[in-house]
Amino acid sequence: MKIVVLVKYVPEPTATWKFAPDLTVDRAGVEGRLSELDEYAVEQAAQLAEKGVASEVVFLTVGPAKATEGLRKALAIGGNTAVHVVDDAIHGSCALGTSLVLAKALEKTGYDLILTGMASTDAELSIVPQMVADRLGINQGTFAGELSVDGSSVTIRRDTDVATERVTIALPAIVSVTDQTGEARYPAFKAIMGAKKKPITTMSLADLGLSADQVGWAAASTKVVDVAPTPARTAGTIITDDGTGGSQVADFLADRGFI
Amino acid sequence: MMAVRTILGLLLTVGCLGVAGRRLFFLYKVGRTGQPTGPEHHFDLGSAVKAELVEVAAQKKLLKWTGPGIAHFAVFWGFMILLFTVLEAFGGLVNPQFQIPIFGNYPWFGFIEDLFAMLCVAAIAAFVVIRIKEAPAGLGRRSRFFGSHLGPAWFVLFMIFNVVWTLLAYRGASINAQRVNELAGTPDAPLKFLQGAFASQWFASAFHGLGEHTNEILETVLLLLSLAVLLGFTIFVTYSKHLHIFLSIGNVAYARRPRALGALLPVYSDGKKVDFEDPGDDDLMGVGKIEDFTWKGLLDFGTCTECGRCQSQCPAWNTDKPLSPKVLIMALRDHALTKAPYLLAAESSTANGEAAASADGATANGIPATAVAEAERPLVGPMGDEEAHVGEHGITGEGVIPFDMLWSCTTCGACVEQCPVDIEHVDHIVDMRRYQVLMESAFPEEAGIMLRNLEHAGDPWGLGASMRLEWAEPLDFEVRVFGAEGEDKIPDDVDYLYWVGCAGALDDTAKRTARAVATLLHEAGVEFMVLGEGESCTGDPARRMGHEFLFQMLAMQNVETLNEAGAKRIVVTCAHCYNTLANEYPQVGGHYEVVHHTTLLARLVAEKKLTPIQRVDASVTYHDPCYLGRHNRIFAPPREVLGAVPGAVLTEMPRTKERSFCCGAGGARMWMDENLGTRINQNRADEAIATKASLITAACPFCITMLGDGVAQRQQEGGATGVEVTDVAEVLLRSIRPDLAETGAAPGADPA
Ligand SMILES: Cc1cc2nc3c(=O)[nH]c(=O)nc-3n(C[C@H](O)[C@H](O)[C@H](O)COP(=O)(O)OP(=O)(O)OC[C@H]3O[C@@H](n4cnc5c(N)ncnc54)[C@H](O)[C@@H]3O)c2cc1C
Ligand code: SF4
Ligand code: SF4
Repeated sequence: MKIVVLVKYVPEPTATWKFAPDLTVDRAGVEGRLSELDEYAVEQAAQLAEKGVASEVVFLTVGPAKATEGLRKALAIGGNTAVHVVDDAIHGSCALGTSLVLAKALEKTGYDLILTGMASTDAELSIVPQMVADRLGINQGTFAGELSVDGSSVTIRRDTDVATERVTIALPAIVSVTDQTGEARYPAFKAIMGAKKKPITTMSLADLGLSADQVGWAAASTKVVDVAPTPARTAGTIITDDGTGGSQVADFLADRGFI
Repeated sequence: MMAVRTILGLLLTVGCLGVAGRRLFFLYKVGRTGQPTGPEHHFDLGSAVKAELVEVAAQKKLLKWTGPGIAHFAVFWGFMILLFTVLEAFGGLVNPQFQIPIFGNYPWFGFIEDLFAMLCVAAIAAFVVIRIKEAPAGLGRRSRFFGSHLGPAWFVLFMIFNVVWTLLAYRGASINAQRVNELAGTPDAPLKFLQGAFASQWFASAFHGLGEHTNEILETVLLLLSLAVLLGFTIFVTYSKHLHIFLSIGNVAYARRPRALGALLPVYSDGKKVDFEDPGDDDLMGVGKIEDFTWKGLLDFGTCTECGRCQSQCPAWNTDKPLSPKVLIMALRDHALTKAPYLLAAESSTANGEAAASADGATANGIPATAVAEAERPLVGPMGDEEAHVGEHGITGEGVIPFDMLWSCTTCGACVEQCPVDIEHVDHIVDMRRYQVLMESAFPEEAGIMLRNLEHAGDPWGLGASMRLEWAEPLDFEVRVFGAEGEDKIPDDVDYLYWVGCAGALDDTAKRTARAVATLLHEAGVEFMVLGEGESCTGDPARRMGHEFLFQMLAMQNVETLNEAGAKRIVVTCAHCYNTLANEYPQVGGHYEVVHHTTLLARLVAEKKLTPIQRVDASVTYHDPCYLGRHNRIFAPPREVLGAVPGAVLTEMPRTKERSFCCGAGGARMWMDENLGTRINQNRADEAIATKASLITAACPFCITMLGDGVAQRQQEGGATGVEVTDVAEVLLRSIRPDLAETGAAPGADPA
């Protein structure tokens, strides 16, 4: 069985981000990393390979040149090969554009099961997997807290506010996984070195049969009109318990609609 | 008669030395299976001679423990002088009138020989008392001999005693026999030590009544007996922990100087530094098998005397954790010796161009099954091995070194400091961690969060560079930030680059210290600059966990920043940053003059640039951070700073300076759960509270966090009222700018 994991290379969340004149994130000016939430998907794929369920694990990313670093990180955790779709024309794509590129690339790589993170840690739309499922016309399971695969289907556990569901989905399918599936292993140096020897294929829009006007900033369905820095954190409210502390806390929460 | 005595004596000597020699040759071959060392262990005549004089001849390290130190001094020198007596005895085999040239038979020489022999006896008596008083049978884990081989130790004492008395008795009989010679009409035969050799005289008078003939026979018998005892003892030594008699000389000669503390060694493979950007395929990454240790490491293991000085000071052992540095060294030695036949066979078959002996093939090659089984044991046991524990008779469990033993170490260096034969525990522990982390990715899980944070955010908390200037916001003066005005070199008017450190920049309590130091420098008119977002973790916790790769990445990045900025003088407020910047960055091309804030503040006070006037009426105690004190010998400056504050009265804790007890944070233990035994920080905090000090001071943010937690715990239980834990700099600030001093509990123990 062939598993393809969609991994996103995101700007480092703790770093200071700067914006380019077109109001996109200036990716060259900030360190990047493999999206933390995608590491869970990578780990699940690595485990399925170890269990002998997956015969081949491929990591796929759409991102800037430096995104290979993210692929190397994934390859240090597990997997066999990686595909990097890189093209200047993709710059500024919205989720629709990104999902289009991913879907085309997936048609090239082939797949039985596609794993994704639950959301990226930068834009956090949590929508790309759904869009990819739609574009490929395959089954989808979202927010899996646990998954197991047999020959023709994948069974996932979904924890919602009201119930825990167990869903079995026929393959081929795309499944997004949550942090409940378990922390990714910390790759040993040996594995990091080994990852450098695993092949990464690059693809351009042309390779995917897409034209520049189908994706990218100009074609994006959403436009950023303004960016402003987050206001500095203000001091929190300190409630000193003079006997009414409990009700003050309750009022505080009620004011903000939490209770 | 004489011929028989000569022949018997020589046969005995050749036979025994043969057996001992075979054993030593075997040990030598085992040592040769180790790896080559890096330059830190290359032989240097000057420092070797000095070390031999100070540590072997003058027994300086042993004498730090007065009682046992004096006793060992007596045995050591007793035995050295006894070697003359032994030489005379060997001479006596061939010629009963043998004398050592120059020393001859002068009474003073006889006196000295007997005096030192008796000192030996007295020391043995002292050792017997010590061994009884400190027996593990009574004290359990509190005994420094817990886990040592007790039987052989007693046997050694007994044998030394036998060597001494048989030699003296032989000399006694010899005196009588010679008197007999004289009476028999050979008056020119020299009289041996009639006045000087008092102890031999006692035996002479005791035997005198037996008559001349008997004394002559007795002389021969006792001579052969004393040589037999001595030679037998020699054989025993080569098979026991008393090997240190021979090996310590070599071990001291090749030890890291000035001491195996401070910097950790780079990762060496085949004696060469491993290049982590492009490592060789066969490069060893730390120690995964016993033969991955260097030959000097193996020599360390063989040299251990099982004295337990290290164990007695170890914070892990003293809080009931499964780590004793002594037991660790002993376990590695026992493992090496048991596995040795396998190693030697593997070595010779590779030397012959054949494949190394495989575990199966090995049994066929006549290697004992025990050696093969030993070879199959992992050097470090798996996590959660329930069998693994340290008992009175060593370690049980699958691994030679249990997982929890390896990870309990705080790298505090108390063991290295104490070891009389210069064993380098910390380096060995870190080398094993290196293999575990780099090759196996096996370490306490919770530390992974810290490693990931270092990798992605450049600090152990994962807060990121953008938060690194917040600490300075409350200050009423501007802190100059490198690059803020477009400069690409640190301007000439800047005296110091102030390395704030992750804690100073991101931990709420440590931020106070960072501000105190900045304020004091400002008050003293010292121009300083910070790197702000350009700073990242020095890599200390990664390195001490064994993650050399991550350390190298962080270190190279920081060194690049510092070198590009043209940094020359750096002041730091963290003991770990100090150690890394000063001692370890030279390994990656960063050479700076690094000063700890306490040193700088002490200097500014001495130069009257800072004048403490305001009284701080408080009793104060000071905790020596391991990485400032033991690792870097900075003991005086923090005390000078405290001493300059009017009203502050310093009360030392019982364990102080070289013997300071770790706070529990070192060796990346700060980032691991402490759920075995009792808590190290509590142990130390209680000791500090017991001094009745109202201000517990330290000079490292991690010590302050640890001690602060310990004091807070006691306060929650209703004790330690009014006790504050703070940095030395903050005490000074209270005396100089009380209006700016931030007192009281820190604003929340956890960083934002
Ligand atoms: C208002 C807005 C403006 C934006 N402007 C810009 C901009 O100017 N420039 C710019 O570069 N981006 C911009 N983006 C981000 C970009 O549109 C999204 O990053 C991208 O479409 C993916 O969506 P997401 O990150 O929210 O993914 P999610 O839907 O949250 O991701 C879910 C999962 O899909 C997979 N996935 C997502 N993206 C990729 C990928 N690229 N490669 C492989 N797998 C992936 C991962 O497995 C991930 O865990 C913007 C987003 C928004 C909401
Ligand atoms: S360094 Fe400290 S904690 Fe580690 S073994 Fe030595 S004494 Fe024990
Ligand atoms: S390692 Fe050193 S201090 Fe510890 S028992 Fe051995 S000889 Fe003594």
